Amino acid sequence: MTSEAPSGTPSQGASAEREASPPILHVDMDAFFASVELLSHPELKGRPVIVGGRSPRSVVTSATYEARAFGVHSAMPVGAALRLCPKAVVLEPHMHLYREYSRQVMALFRDVTPLVEPLSIDEAFLDVSGARRLLGEPDVIAQNLRARVLAQTGLPCSVGVAPTKFMAKLASGRAKPDGMLVIRPSELVAYLRPLPVRALWGVGAKTAEQLERLGLRTVADIADTPLDALVRAVGEATGSKLHELAQGIDTRSVVPASQEKSVGHERTFDIDERSTEVLKRELLHQASRVAVRLRAAGLMGRTVALKLRFSDFTTITRSRTLAEPTDLGRRIYEEAVAIFDAVGLRGEAIRLIGVRVEQLSEADGTMHQPALWADKTVPSEGWREAELTIDRVTARFGTDMVRPASLVRAPKTGETADRNGTRS
Amino acid sequence: MKFQVNRDVFSEAVSFAVKLLPQRTTLPILSGVLIEATDDGLKLSSFDYEVSAQTQIAADIEEPGVILVSGRLLSDIASRLPNAPVRFSTEDSRIVVSCGTARFTLLSMPVEEYPTLPQVGAESGLLPAEQFAAAVSQVAVAASRDDVTPVITGVQLEVSENSISLVATDRYRVAVRNIDWDSNDSGTTTATALVPARTLQEVGKTFGNAGTISVAITNSDDRELIAFKSDKKTVTTLLIKGNFPPVKRLFPESVDNYAVINTADLIEATKRVSLVLEREAALRFTFTIDGVTLEAIGSEQAQASESIDALLTGQDTVVSLKPQFLLDGLSAVHSEFVRISFTKTDNPNKPGPVLITSQSSKDQPGSDDYKYLLQPNLLLR
Repeated sequence: MTSEAPSGTPSQGASAEREASPPILHVDMDAFFASVELLSHPELKGRPVIVGGRSPRSVVTSATYEARAFGVHSAMPVGAALRLCPKAVVLEPHMHLYREYSRQVMALFRDVTPLVEPLSIDEAFLDVSGARRLLGEPDVIAQNLRARVLAQTGLPCSVGVAPTKFMAKLASGRAKPDGMLVIRPSELVAYLRPLPVRALWGVGAKTAEQLERLGLRTVADIADTPLDALVRAVGEATGSKLHELAQGIDTRSVVPASQEKSVGHERTFDIDERSTEVLKRELLHQASRVAVRLRAAGLMGRTVALKLRFSDFTTITRSRTLAEPTDLGRRIYEEAVAIFDAVGLRGEAIRLIGVRVEQLSEADGTMHQPALWADKTVPSEGWREAELTIDRVTARFGTDMVRPASLVRAPKTGETADRNGTRS
Repeated sequence: MKFQVNRDVFSEAVSFAVKLLPQRTTLPILSGVLIEATDDGLKLSSFDYEVSAQTQIAADIEEPGVILVSGRLLSDIASRLPNAPVRFSTEDSRIVVSCGTARFTLLSMPVEEYPTLPQVGAESGLLPAEQFAAAVSQVAVAASRDDVTPVITGVQLEVSENSISLVATDRYRVAVRNIDWDSNDSGTTTATALVPARTLQEVGKTFGNAGTISVAITNSDDRELIAFKSDKKTVTTLLIKGNFPPVKRLFPESVDNYAVINTADLIEATKRVSLVLEREAALRFTFTIDGVTLEAIGSEQAQASESIDALLTGQDTVVSLKPQFLLDGLSAVHSEFVRISFTKTDNPNKPGPVLITSQSSKDQPGSDDYKYLLQPNLLLR
């Protein structure tokens, strides 16, 4: 870019000849966890690398493209991945590193535009319409951003540039790895039509099944179906949304710094668990962890949800709404246990258990309504003090220095006492 | 069975009998209204094992008999009938209701399967109906609606020699009012009964103009029951089991820090300022010698504040109150002015409760002994 362009000749000369570049960017880090691991293991570059835990039930959380070439993908058991690609190197995940790099990358995004909507730890939407005058056309911005992310962090990313969020995400997916794709408004429909219906935002397995039963397999099929027929098939809300998406219309705007919608913890047991005592202790552990995270983020939640996955992989989620929002582990635990008891397990083996707090709001300014008196139905005011003290101790001495007594167990031989009972 | 009855009398009786039935019953038969035609007239009853209602009205009985018919349907029909005598007759398993040229054929439910209504015990005493209705509306608002803790979903009636006190709480506030009680039984002078708040509210509304209400509390074996009876109407309900928390002792003996405010002014200002509040948020009230200032803060979108006159005795005070909780108390004082008293506390994490009482003028306490205790909010961080 010429820094001394005379006023009156803005850099629109080029775009007058070709179609203007659309303003929405979807930036997706390539194999994020694996790429971050490679920064500390440069010798593994170019080799198949899998990030995943060591436990037999661990799943792949990330894999380099070299590993993906063998059919390895996220969420598959590590064991299965190693059968596909025996030469792969398995590295343990380091969440704190990923969070740190995520923070750095998001900060680079925010240098470009304040309209950054993180979707997860490693991807975000950017609306750069306001940055045109300063930084040039969106495709130029995207190219520069990719270069900057690589220069500053050493991490590759792919960028989709399109008129809508939906298409931008589609484009970044097509650009991977380490690439960029611009979909201009005139090309929109051509890109959309051949896609399977499942590619559309909000079409899950059930909706797709309903649509496919009607012979609607591609986006083109949906675009060509009259709206009222679509509404009859999948209902008012979904029907009209799909119809719009299929025409390339996506009215959702980029919402900066979208708040966390929920905070949760879950655990897959190495061996399916049947003991309610063990399961409830796990709930206590998770509730305490969730509460610590809520307080750290300055959030309170109104809904407590319990997730149970049985050994046959059937999964149930049950939730309850509290009379008032909480950030106390004690309160979350009580509600989770009440839900757990209401499920009425009869010795079924549990593969996964998880606690999640939803309907979050800022704790700042939230009024706490104390009760006039304390009894066993009201968590006494003392709990707040106790848990805030734990936060302070944790801040000074580290996680799990103080925890509920039932979560402390005697150290095994050869194990140091300071970290026992914890899980990450 | 065959009878003829005045439309208005009948409609009123059916609506009374149906009102206390729950929206959904587990047994379809319990959604029925039992109609008994005898030489004495017509008796309408409903019962769902917890609550029963029974009333007697005059009718021309041509042929005595008993029928059971869907309560809600009959009530809907009765309220829309043309202005003419209502005739009932049975044809096979059907019930024919005709009024003018309107004619309804209703399914007859099996009478023999209908449960027997509970026996009403000996009268315990008499209540002045109007006072009782007012007291119920003042107190029941504080009862909990959370079924998780059933004991506080009721209104506790505490009977003493010549007064009865009504108490309700949802943990965040307590409402109490005493009214006159004409005890029938000089032997047992004290008794308590924990009555479901919803039922008591219906009783208050239904019997408000009745003059006096006869009350019978029955504590026999495991069947604890209270009956309210007036004119030709009777309502019974099972009592809630369990011990009501001893909330009366939460009230302070005396408070020397208080403000007196025009009730309507405070209600209006509270409603206005809380328009910008988010759900669950509280209003901040700052009491000084200049009056009281209401502030709605903590919302990014909007703020609001308003000041009104208040006569403060004692020191300046700041409290945060949930607006709906305050409004419930203010609407219940039934007096031109209201006294808001600030109790002291030693716990820095829990402000002292606020006491709301009636005040007939700026310096004259109210005549009734209604009391409403409210726990202020705590502003976190």
